[in-house]
Amino acid sequence: MEITFAVILWAVRIAFLVLLYLFLIRSFRALQRALADERTAVAARQVGLAALVVTRSHGGGPRVGERMPLRAVSSVGRDAGNDIVLNDEAASAKHAIVSFADGEWWLEDAGSTNGTVLNGSRIWDRERFHYGDEVAVGRIALRLERAQ
Amino acid sequence: MIRVRPVARLAELRLLIWVAALSLAGYVAVVAAASGRFAWYEIAVPVVVLAIFGALHVFLISVGFRGDQLLMPLAVGLTGIGFVLVERLAPTLLLQQLTWLVIAAGAFCITILIPRDLSVLARFKYTWALIGVLLLISPLLPFIGREINGARIWVGITGVAQFEPWELVKIALVIFFAAYLEEYREMLSTPPRRFGPIPVPPVPYLLPIVAMWLVAMLVMVFEKDLGATLLFFGIFLAMLYLATGEPFYVLIGLALLVGGGFAAYHAFAHVAARVDVWLAPFNSDLRFDQAYQLTQGLFSLGNAGLFGAGLGAGMPERIPVVWSDFVFDAFTEEVGFIGALALLAFYLVFVYRGMLIALRAPTTFLQLLAAGLSFIVAFQTLVIVGGNAKLIPLTGITLPFVAYGGSSLVTNFMLCALLLRVSDITARVRR
Repeated sequence: MEITFAVILWAVRIAFLVLLYLFLIRSFRALQRALADERTAVAARQVGLAALVVTRSHGGGPRVGERMPLRAVSSVGRDAGNDIVLNDEAASAKHAIVSFADGEWWLEDAGSTNGTVLNGSRIWDRERFHYGDEVAVGRIALRLERAQ
Repeated sequence: MIRVRPVARLAELRLLIWVAALSLAGYVAVVAAASGRFAWYEIAVPVVVLAIFGALHVFLISVGFRGDQLLMPLAVGLTGIGFVLVERLAPTLLLQQLTWLVIAAGAFCITILIPRDLSVLARFKYTWALIGVLLLISPLLPFIGREINGARIWVGITGVAQFEPWELVKIALVIFFAAYLEEYREMLSTPPRRFGPIPVPPVPYLLPIVAMWLVAMLVMVFEKDLGATLLFFGIFLAMLYLATGEPFYVLIGLALLVGGGFAAYHAFAHVAARVDVWLAPFNSDLRFDQAYQLTQGLFSLGNAGLFGAGLGAGMPERIPVVWSDFVFDAFTEEVGFIGALALLAFYLVFVYRGMLIALRAPTTFLQLLAAGLSFIVAFQTLVIVGGNAKLIPLTGITLPFVAYGGSSLVTNFMLCALLLRVSDITARVRR
């Protein structure tokens, strides 16, 4: 056997071992990445995309300062089936819809009896809902805040 | 009709490139070491093998598969190592193994596509149990049953093809256990009566468990297959524990197994021989007789050292039937402790991934199914590597994906496809 052939053969053998470990490391990294993705997904589900924080309330309503996490589309109203339930006589069963579309939050009245008030003025159409804006439903007021 | 939208699987593709490099390097080293020269046409076989792997990847993309991207590269990586070892240890069997790989790839694709809804498996659970038992006893039937190397676990026509039905039984039984335990786990984990800390479920619920034990013992006695008995009962106990969280079932099961094993040791010569060989392989009566395979394997392991002899430079061919029973020793001799460690780590990642898939699965049936399938791979690796290293008595179980053998290759690819199916369902549900 020639010397060069023997050297190349050994190089290939060592390459096999090195590749074995490189493939293993890549597999571990893929495993780790999947676990990390899972953690962020779980965290996102718990924190929510944004939240409505109660700024004004009354005896039977939610506590002031309570955070209500929002989904991509959340319904607001007195009925227990809503994503955000507001216990107030002036709130309708299905009162308003808060939604996230085109990178922005939107507020829309869902045909309520007493109306939805955004920053002091009643809304009639789908309105842009900025972080820090305050919405009043009956005697309860809520402020839109970023997820923590 | 489900709308099919191809989904890129980049992570899988990247890992497959490493598999390709690894397989080619190993194959080239083995071929060059054997013949003392190298010509490019010789890489035809690994190129065909890699083309089949690539086709599986393209197939998964084209059906819009959204499941796990790590399992398939791991499975084909181990299969690639398996082909390197077949070329090294039994080149005459290479074409046969390649034929089996094509069949295995076909079985993989069919399992990915059919059944459309996996819960069908749970609905026909007693059918699966029946198929499992029939397959299990098929080698005992006259005309088609075959006894090879002292174990009557084959069916086939001499000279045409032989198949080990036991391999398929594993999958059928895991499906049955998963469906059975999903339905009765409440009754088994919180039975109406307890005798002290021991749960006493009503007798009808216990019957399948006793039946399993009887069948396991039947296999040990009539088919002379210790490995199948261990695996069969191990899977059952593990899944029973996963479903109920009740350690007493495992204790009772182990006591039954030990009792049965002890009785078999005294009653049957082939069981006693296995244990004697394990206890004292270098005994002068056994060393060049019944223990020859094991002792040659031990010398092979001893020859390995930290980095091994180098691919193609060891002498693993001195172990009888090395390509199916002792691939782990052969691989270790040539790549050393370092290489063996990497090989075991691949199984670890595979099983870990399988268990993660089980944890995330949306229904109890799918969870138990994925856990049971992962457990098959874990338990088989443990039993054969332990047997090769003389940690436990040697049994004729194959090293998953790596060892030469058509039935095990086909079954392992189906197993991998089922695990992928479960992860695909999870991905679609969670979206």
